Amino acid sequence: MESLNPIPSNSFGADVHLSTKDVHVWFGQRHVLEGVNLEFPVNSVTALIGPSGCGKSTFIRTLNRMHELIPNAKLAGEVLLKGQNIYAVGVDPIQVRINIGMVFQKPNPFPTMTIRGNVLSGLRLSGKHSRNEDELVENSLQAASLWNEVKDRLDSPAGSLSGGQQQRLCIARALALAPDVLLMDEPCSALDPGSTIRIEETIRSISKNMTVVIVTHNMQQAQRVSEQTAFFLAEDNNPGYVVEAGLTNDIFHNPKDKRTEDYVSGRFG
Amino acid sequence: MTTETLRLVTPETPWRVRSKSQLVYIFIASTLPAALTFLIADQMKLAGLIALTIVFLPLQLLAASLAALITVGKRGILDAILTVSVLFLMLTMGFLLGSVALSLVQKGFKALSFHAIYQNSFYVTSVTSLEYGGLGHALVGTLVIVGIAVIFAVPIGIAVGVFLTETQSRMRGSVRFLSQAMTGLPSIVSGLFVFAFLYLTGWVQRSAILGSVALFLLMLPTIIRLSEEVLKLVPQELRYAALALGAPRHKAFFQVIFPAARSGIITTCLLGTARVIGETAPLIVLVTYLPSTNFNPLSGDMASIPTYIYSWLKFSTDLANQRAWGGALALMILVGVLFTLARFFGRKRF
Repeated sequence: MESLNPIPSNSFGADVHLSTKDVHVWFGQRHVLEGVNLEFPVNSVTALIGPSGCGKSTFIRTLNRMHELIPNAKLAGEVLLKGQNIYAVGVDPIQVRINIGMVFQKPNPFPTMTIRGNVLSGLRLSGKHSRNEDELVENSLQAASLWNEVKDRLDSPAGSLSGGQQQRLCIARALALAPDVLLMDEPCSALDPGSTIRIEETIRSISKNMTVVIVTHNMQQAQRVSEQTAFFLAEDNNPGYVVEAGLTNDIFHNPKDKRTEDYVSGRFG
Repeated sequence: MTTETLRLVTPETPWRVRSKSQLVYIFIASTLPAALTFLIADQMKLAGLIALTIVFLPLQLLAASLAALITVGKRGILDAILTVSVLFLMLTMGFLLGSVALSLVQKGFKALSFHAIYQNSFYVTSVTSLEYGGLGHALVGTLVIVGIAVIFAVPIGIAVGVFLTETQSRMRGSVRFLSQAMTGLPSIVSGLFVFAFLYLTGWVQRSAILGSVALFLLMLPTIIRLSEEVLKLVPQELRYAALALGAPRHKAFFQVIFPAARSGIITTCLLGTARVIGETAPLIVLVTYLPSTNFNPLSGDMASIPTYIYSWLKFSTDLANQRAWGGALALMILVGVLFTLARFFGRKRF
C-alpha cells in the first residue's frame, strides 16, 4: 500500500495538532486497518467517511488509546499529539484520554448520576478540581447547547432526558474537561434531524479552540461541519485503508480517486 | 376536519375481545375437568393428591387442548398445554410454600413471645412452661456467626467478581472454574474440612469462629458467581464512557460501575446470606450448643437458631417440640426481615 501523506500541514496555515504515522490495527490475527497516515491541524474539523466495517471507528479509538481496552487488540505505528507519540513507553493513557476527549455513537450518560453530576463526572473521575463548579456546569452545557433545556432540572437523573439531549449531555461531559482534541464516533447516528443540527452547531462553535475528529455516515453532515475529509475503504476482507484524504471541498467535488467519487456521489456504500 | 364533533372515546383492548361461543368453550374447558375429577374421586375414593395429578391434570390438559383447537386452531394447542402446566405447577408451589409457612406459624407462634426474643434457655428444661426462657441466645449466636461470615465473604466475593469481570487476567478461567467447583461443596464437607484443617491441627480452639469459617466457605462461591453475573449486566458503554473521561480503573469502578450494579450487588449479598443462615450441619460439627448467651466468637460454645432447633428436637415432650417450632418460625422471620431491609437499601434510586 502506498504511503499517503495527503494533507500538507500548512494547508490551513495552522500547525499539525494530531497526526498518525503508518498506523496498523489488528484484532487477534485479523488485520483490520493498514497504513493510515493522517494529519489533523490545530482547531480543524476532520470528517472520517466510508462504508460500514472499513475501520473508521477502530481508527478513531486508536487516537485516544481506547482501542487497547478491547481484548486481543494490537497496533503498529505512531499517533503523535503535538509531536509526542501517545503510545510511547511511559505515556500515561489516563493523561492521553483527558487531553483527547471522546463522544460515542450511542448516548451513554451515567444513569446513576444527575445531569449536573454527569457534567462534573469527568472532573471526579480524572481527579481534577474546578474552582467554580456551577460555572463549569453552565459553560459546558451552554457549549453543548443544552443549557436552556435543563437549567431548571440539573438535579434530575440523566436518564430522564431524550436521546438527543443525552447525547448533548455526553458532549458537555467531554467538554467540561476542556480537552485539546474531541473525537466523535457517529455522534448523530441515533438522533433526529433537530438534535443533529444542534450538535453540528456545537461542533462548529467548539472547533474555534478545539481540534475535532468526527466519524459520520452522513455525507451532508461531513460537508457541513468539516474542513477536511478522509475516505476509508475495506475491500473483501482486506484491511481498511485511507483511499483519499484532503480538503472536504476537494473530496466531495473534485475527488482524485474513482472510488471516492463513486462513494461520495452515492453509487456504492 | 370535524373538530366540532364531540365524541367520547373509551380506551379498549380489541385484541382481547372474545366471541360468545369462544367464551362458552373456555367456560366448559375450565369447569368440566374439575367437576369430573370431583365425581370420579368421590366414586373411587381417591386421595386428594392422586386425584389431582392422575385424574385432574390429564383431563384439564385434554379439555384445554380441545377448546384451543376449536377456538384458535392447531397453533393454540401447545399454548393451552403450556398454560395449564405452568398454572398447575405455580398453584402447587404456592400451596406447598403456603402450607409450610402456615404450619410454621401455627405450631411456632406459641413459643414465640416478646420475652422469648431476649431470654435464653439456661434454666429451661424440656418440661419448662413456655412462659419462661427463649431463644435470645440463639438469635445472638446466629447473628454473630453468620455476621462474621458475611463480613469476610462479601468483600472477598465481590472482589473476585470484579476480578472476573473487570480485568483481562489469564487467571480468570481457573478462578472461575474453582469457584464454580466450590458451589457444589456439601455443607457437611465444609464443616469437616474446617474441623480437620483448623481445629485438629490445633490452630484454632473450639469456638464459634470455626462455624463462621465454614459458612464463609459455603457462601463465598455464591457471592462470587452472582456478583460476576450482576457486574456483567453493566453495559460496556458505561465502562468506555468512564475510561474515555480519563478515569483510572478503580475510579471508573467505584463511581460508575458499582453504582450501576448496586441493587444487584445487594441482592447478591442477600442470597449469599440466605444460603447459609439456616445451615445446620457444619454448626453441629463445629460449634457446640450452649443454652446461655455468648457474645464472644473467639472462645467458648455458642448457640445458633439451627442448633437451637436441633437441641429441642432431641426431646420428645410437647413443650420441647413447640420450642423447636418457635425456633424455625424465628428463623423464617429473621430471613424475612433481612430480605425487607435489603430490598429497602437496594432499591433503585432513579
